[in-house]
Amino acid sequence: MKFHWFAEATYPHLPKNFPDMGVSSWVTPPHSLGDPRKLGEMYKMFIRLMQQADRDGFDGLAVNEHHQTPFACTPSPNLLAASLAGTTENAAILIIGDSLALYNPPTRVAEEMAYMDCLSGGRLIAGFVFGTPMDSVFAYGIPPVELRDRFHEARKLILKAWSEPEPFAFNGKYTKLRYVNTWPRPVQKRPPIWVPGSGSLETWDLVIDEDYCYGHLSFSGLHSAKPMVQAYWDYVEKRGGNMNPHRMAFTQLVCCSETDAEAEAKYYDAVRYFYRNNTLDPGFTAPPGYTSVRSAQEMAKRMTSGGGLSPEDRARAQKGEMSFWEYDEKGYIIAGSPQRVRQRIRELATDLRIGQLIACLHMGDLSEEQASENTRLFGTQVIPHLRDLWADQPDHWTPEVSQQRIAAASARRLEPAQ
Amino acid sequence: MKAARETSGAFDIRLWSGGSGGTPVLYLHGFEQHPGAAPFLQRLAERHPVRAPEHPGYGSSSGFEHIDDIFDVTLHYRRLIESWNLGPVDVVGHSLGGMFAAELAAVAPHLVRRLVLVSPYGLWLDEAPMPDPFVMTPPVLAAAKWADPARASDETSAFDAAEGDSAATFRALNLAAATKFLWPIPDRGLQRRLQYVTAPTLVLRGEADGLFPAAYLNAWTSAVAGAKSLTIPGAGNLPMVEAEDSFITAVEGFLS
Repeated sequence: MKFHWFAEATYPHLPKNFPDMGVSSWVTPPHSLGDPRKLGEMYKMFIRLMQQADRDGFDGLAVNEHHQTPFACTPSPNLLAASLAGTTENAAILIIGDSLALYNPPTRVAEEMAYMDCLSGGRLIAGFVFGTPMDSVFAYGIPPVELRDRFHEARKLILKAWSEPEPFAFNGKYTKLRYVNTWPRPVQKRPPIWVPGSGSLETWDLVIDEDYCYGHLSFSGLHSAKPMVQAYWDYVEKRGGNMNPHRMAFTQLVCCSETDAEAEAKYYDAVRYFYRNNTLDPGFTAPPGYTSVRSAQEMAKRMTSGGGLSPEDRARAQKGEMSFWEYDEKGYIIAGSPQRVRQRIRELATDLRIGQLIACLHMGDLSEEQASENTRLFGTQVIPHLRDLWADQPDHWTPEVSQQRIAAASARRLEPAQ
Repeated sequence: MKAARETSGAFDIRLWSGGSGGTPVLYLHGFEQHPGAAPFLQRLAERHPVRAPEHPGYGSSSGFEHIDDIFDVTLHYRRLIESWNLGPVDVVGHSLGGMFAAELAAVAPHLVRRLVLVSPYGLWLDEAPMPDPFVMTPPVLAAAKWADPARASDETSAFDAAEGDSAATFRALNLAAATKFLWPIPDRGLQRRLQYVTAPTLVLRGEADGLFPAAYLNAWTSAVAGAKSLTIPGAGNLPMVEAEDSFITAVEGFLS
C-alpha cells in the first residue's frame, strides 16, 4: 500500500464569521479576504511540509488544481510541483491533477509534466482531471456540455506528444497544431496516469479501458464514499477490468497525535475551520450538462439505495456542528494515536479496496508545527506498519524510481536498529 | 397544433404545426424548452400556417452531436425552411430561439420575410451584463422570468412522459444543449453579422423581464437597420404567456 502527502492549501486567515457572511467560498469569494503576503508564507510552509514528507517516508507528494477559492489556493498545481520536483529525492510528484480542458494548447501540460519528470528523475505521476464545476465551467468558462469532449481530445494529444517519435500535425476540434514536437520528453516512457472522478460512468469506463488509477477525492470519508466505491469495484468486475487495489486512490483527513486525547485538543479547531469555511453557492454545484444523463440517473439510484451518510449528517459536518469524535466516527477524519490511526486506515483500505491513500495531513488553519508532527508520526509510526497491505499485488501506478528509492531509504532507516 | 417528427439530414426532430393561409410563421423556442401546443401558438395559427420545431438536443429531438457551433444550427434551420418549399417565412424567435432567428436572418436573408425577436440572446453589453440563468436557483429564476411568479403554472411544455424520460432529465438535456450557445457568455459574434439582416425586425421585451435587461432593446435596434422595439407591460421573459393578448396584437400588427 502507498501513502501520499496532501493538503488542500486552504487559506488559514479567513475571518471567524466567514461562514455567516453569506458568500460562496468558490468562484466569487471577496478577494479582499486574502492577504497576498500571508499567502506567500503559506506557500512556503507547504513546500517545507512536503519536503519533510519526502524525508519521512511518504510515497508521493500530491498537489491539485482549484481556482478562485480560499479553500484551495493552488491555481496551477504544476507550480507547487515544480518547487518540489527539484528539492526532494524519493517521493513521487503526484499531480492530481491538471484540468486538461483548461489548457490551451494542451501541449502545455505535456511540456510542464515532462519538465517535472526530468527535474525529478522520473518521479512524476500524471493526474488528468475534469475539474469541479466551480473550477472548469464557472471560473474558466468551458461550456459544461463540451467539457468531456475537450478533456479527451487534450488527453489524446498529450499522450501522443509524449510518445510520437516524429513531429506531427494535430487537427482536433478544439486544438489545431501544425507542428507538435514536445521538448522535453518525460524520463519515464509513459508516466503513470491517474484520473479522479465523482462517480460518472464515463470516467469509470475510461479508467477501466486504459488501466488508469481511479481516484475518489472527497473529504467525507469511508461511510460517505462506501456506496460509490463499492459500485465502482462492482462495475470494474462486471466489465472484466483490473481489480488491483493500487488502481484506486482515496483522500482521507488524518489527525495523528501521541494520544487520542491530545489529537482532539490539537486538531479540532482546524478540522472545523476546514469544513465550515467551505461554503458553496448552490448555483455553482450542478451546471446543466456537466454530468451526463446516464451518470446522473446512476448516481441518483446509488443515493436512494441506502448506505452513505444522511443529508442531516452532511449538513452538520459542513457547519462544524459535529464533535471531534463524531467527525471521526462518521469517517470525515481518522484521528488519534498512531496505533489507532493505523488500525482505522487498515479497515478503510481493506473495506474500500484502496491501494493509494492520499492522506491530508494539514487541514484548515492547522499550525505548521502540528502539521509537521502529524507528518512525522504518520510517516514513521503509521506507514511502516501498513506496508503489508496489498503487498502481494504489483503497483504499476507509481513511478518505479520512487518505489526503489523509498524502499532503499526505508531499509537504511531500519539498519541502525538491527 | 399537432406534433409530428420530421427528419432533416442528420437531425430527427419534433415539430408542432397547424393553421393555414398567408406567409408561414416559423417559431423558434427559448433556452428552457419547447412550449408544445401552447395557446399563443394556436392563436397565431388562426391566421398563419405555424411551424414550431424543437431545437436539436432538446427533448427527444436528436442530432446535437452534429452541432459544433451556431453556424451548424443556422444551416439546419435554413435547410428545414427550404425543405418545406413554401418560400420565405416570418420568423418569431424567443430567447435562445431569437438568437438562432437573427443568425438565420443574417445568413439566409432570402428566406426570412419578417423577423420578431422576443428577449433574444446573442448580444453582450459590458455596461449591462446579461444575467446568467444557469447559476440561478429555481426561485431566483422564477423571480427573473415572471412579472408575477404565480403565473408560472401557465407555462406549457413539450415534455411528454410517454417519451420515457423524467421531467428532470428533459430539463437537464435541454439546458445542457443551451450551454453550447449561451455559456459562459451568450455572445457568439452575432453583433458582427447583424449588418446582413434585411428583414424588417421587431424586438419585444416584457417590461419586468429579469433575464433580458432593457438596455439590450437599444442595442438590437441600433445593430439591425430599421428595427423597432416594443415593451409589453405586465410580463417578464415570457410575454407570450403572461400577456398573451398584447403579445398577439404586437406580433400580428407587425406581420400584417
